[in-house]
Amino acid sequence: MGVREWLLRQAALRPRPLVVGCPYGTRARLLVEAEADRRGWVAAAAPAEAGLLVVCGAAGSEIGQAVEVVWEAVPAPRVLVEAASDASAGAVRRALDDAVAELAAGGLDGGARHGDAGRPVAMAGRGRDRDGLTLDRLHVPLGPVLADWPAGLVVETVLQGDVIQEAVVRAASAGADGVSFWDPPRRDETDRDETDRDETERREAARCLDSLGRLLAVAGWPGAAREARRLRDRLLAGAAPAGLRRDCERFARRVRRSRVLRWMLRGVGPVEGRAGVPERLRGDALDRAYGWLDTLPSPLPDDPAPATQNGGSRHDGDPGGAGACGGGQRVDRVVGADGADGVVLGLLAGLLVGAESAVARLIVASLDPDLDRLPASAAVRRG
Amino acid sequence: MDEGTGAAAVSLVVSLAVLAYGAAALDAGLGGARGAAGAPLREAARLLVQGRRRTLVPDTLLVRTGTVLLPLAALLAATVLPAGDRPVLDSGVGIVWFNAMEVCVWGALWLVGWGVNSVYPLIGGYRFLAQGLSYELPHMFALITVALGAGSLRIADVVAAQREVWFVVWMPVAFVVYLVSALAMAFWGPMGEPVGRNVAGGVPAELSGADRLVFAAGRYALLVVVAAAAVPLFLGGGAGPVLPGWAWTAVKTVAVLGGLVLVGQRVPAVRMDRFTEFAWVVLIPLTLLQTLVVAIVVLP
Repeated sequence: MGVREWLLRQAALRPRPLVVGCPYGTRARLLVEAEADRRGWVAAAAPAEAGLLVVCGAAGSEIGQAVEVVWEAVPAPRVLVEAASDASAGAVRRALDDAVAELAAGGLDGGARHGDAGRPVAMAGRGRDRDGLTLDRLHVPLGPVLADWPAGLVVETVLQGDVIQEAVVRAASAGADGVSFWDPPRRDETDRDETDRDETERREAARCLDSLGRLLAVAGWPGAAREARRLRDRLLAGAAPAGLRRDCERFARRVRRSRVLRWMLRGVGPVEGRAGVPERLRGDALDRAYGWLDTLPSPLPDDPAPATQNGGSRHDGDPGGAGACGGGQRVDRVVGADGADGVVLGLLAGLLVGAESAVARLIVASLDPDLDRLPASAAVRRG
Repeated sequence: MDEGTGAAAVSLVVSLAVLAYGAAALDAGLGGARGAAGAPLREAARLLVQGRRRTLVPDTLLVRTGTVLLPLAALLAATVLPAGDRPVLDSGVGIVWFNAMEVCVWGALWLVGWGVNSVYPLIGGYRFLAQGLSYELPHMFALITVALGAGSLRIADVVAAQREVWFVVWMPVAFVVYLVSALAMAFWGPMGEPVGRNVAGGVPAELSGADRLVFAAGRYALLVVVAAAAVPLFLGGGAGPVLPGWAWTAVKTVAVLGGLVLVGQRVPAVRMDRFTEFAWVVLIPLTLLQTLVVAIVVLP
């Protein structure tokens, strides 16, 4: 066995997957993320770092083109995996196994040099920036392929230095129709019972953990982001047992305790409480993050563990959200129904103009719109 | 160069490599990777067989220079640190040399970030410049405080001056500021925004294969060097009971290094739009006060 073959085999054991979320591909993305975590794989942040490109869901023409560009930028040995929206956990596992085998054999066009395609800096005229300096204006699209980014969201920006000067927000066209994974399948209104309500709450808490995972990853706190995603996967795997409830509470306490997080998120992406703006979007990024923590299942009153209810500073936001998953008082609601995801698209452009790249990422992650809940006509907003 | 210096140079390179590998393995373990002890080896294997990515019209010379400069600067900075009884380069201006090598990192990151001609690395470069403007002055005042306390810029003299009391005891502010700036100059953990995931990995976003391997190795080497420098500067160097000097140096270095790696997983990223104000309004006056206190104490 040659040295190169041996190295390839070693390398294939820990590939770095770049996961691309497509519209209505949430289910597949969750399965891929959970399986990658189980295998101890570290997700790639950029195509040049990756060896595995995993497309979750149906890409459609626009995201398909973006995937083409990104694929060109992935160095050999490389493998492209497509996980269908309705793929089963077993199918995802098999697809990743096959990818590993292929990588160990040298991947697609192994060793070949790739073209010069990339995301070059196009020099596009100059203009005055916010400090009155004359700087190059760069046209940079954020999304649809970007780590820890809402599926299908595209923000076309004009950048000067690190600062966004102009922003156009839109939803990339979907490749297929579907319903959002986070809206659980509903039976007839008259037929709804306890199980349905439990399921709604469980999905909503999992959705909040998914958003928290994204926000904490963007906020540069990898340890907490990983914990959020693991809790999310456990929550989706079955009903919330006492141990999981305790772990959720511990996680919420840990996030609330972080002073650095408070320092960094306070005042980021402020949304005023106007008519038509749902309660859970109001405030700044920190308020929204704490709002998500409030929806997590907390230990039941009869739990043997000493349960200090939501220790630390308690978010005084919407009372309906606060106790939604707490033991006892249950609130019957479908969260997607308040139209918040559409409102976010309208708000985003205005919030992003004038923000630095890191702040812009935090604003998007703290609002985390689920574009799968939008009506079919994709909105375009300028700022 | 006599025989002793040659042996010291070899042991320096070996211990730097071993500690850098250990830091990478510890970080992989804390980061949830399974089989963490072998994780850096597998990652190195992956990068060795990975093809080289080329962006559109990059300035290859600048990118290569910047990439190689990173481990080189770490190695050169380490030459003034005494591992046993004396360092490889027993310079009379050791502290200044250490600081100068660390400033080379500014150049290295900017050359890579600008040279590859791509948006995210460029943003990473901008971020590091802002970071440099925030941490460098408090960092230099912390180093000046140490030199003032020892009455010398030679690191061996700094160690000798701590025979009675370690500097960390009566210069706690300088020590804490040094640790914060240590994170910043190795762009590690909470100070890792120049290579943040939120800009697709920032400066090295377009590096692949051997280039990325050299960059990553250089970053871990830097982390080791800034951790190792805390030992002679604040923690009494090789001083300690029972064990020989080199062993105490190793133990203290590993402790500081472990702490820095741990902070990387435990603390969210710090953005310069908030930290710069804190650095200039709080940290600089604090370090100046610390310098004043030390100056009064050492006044003959």
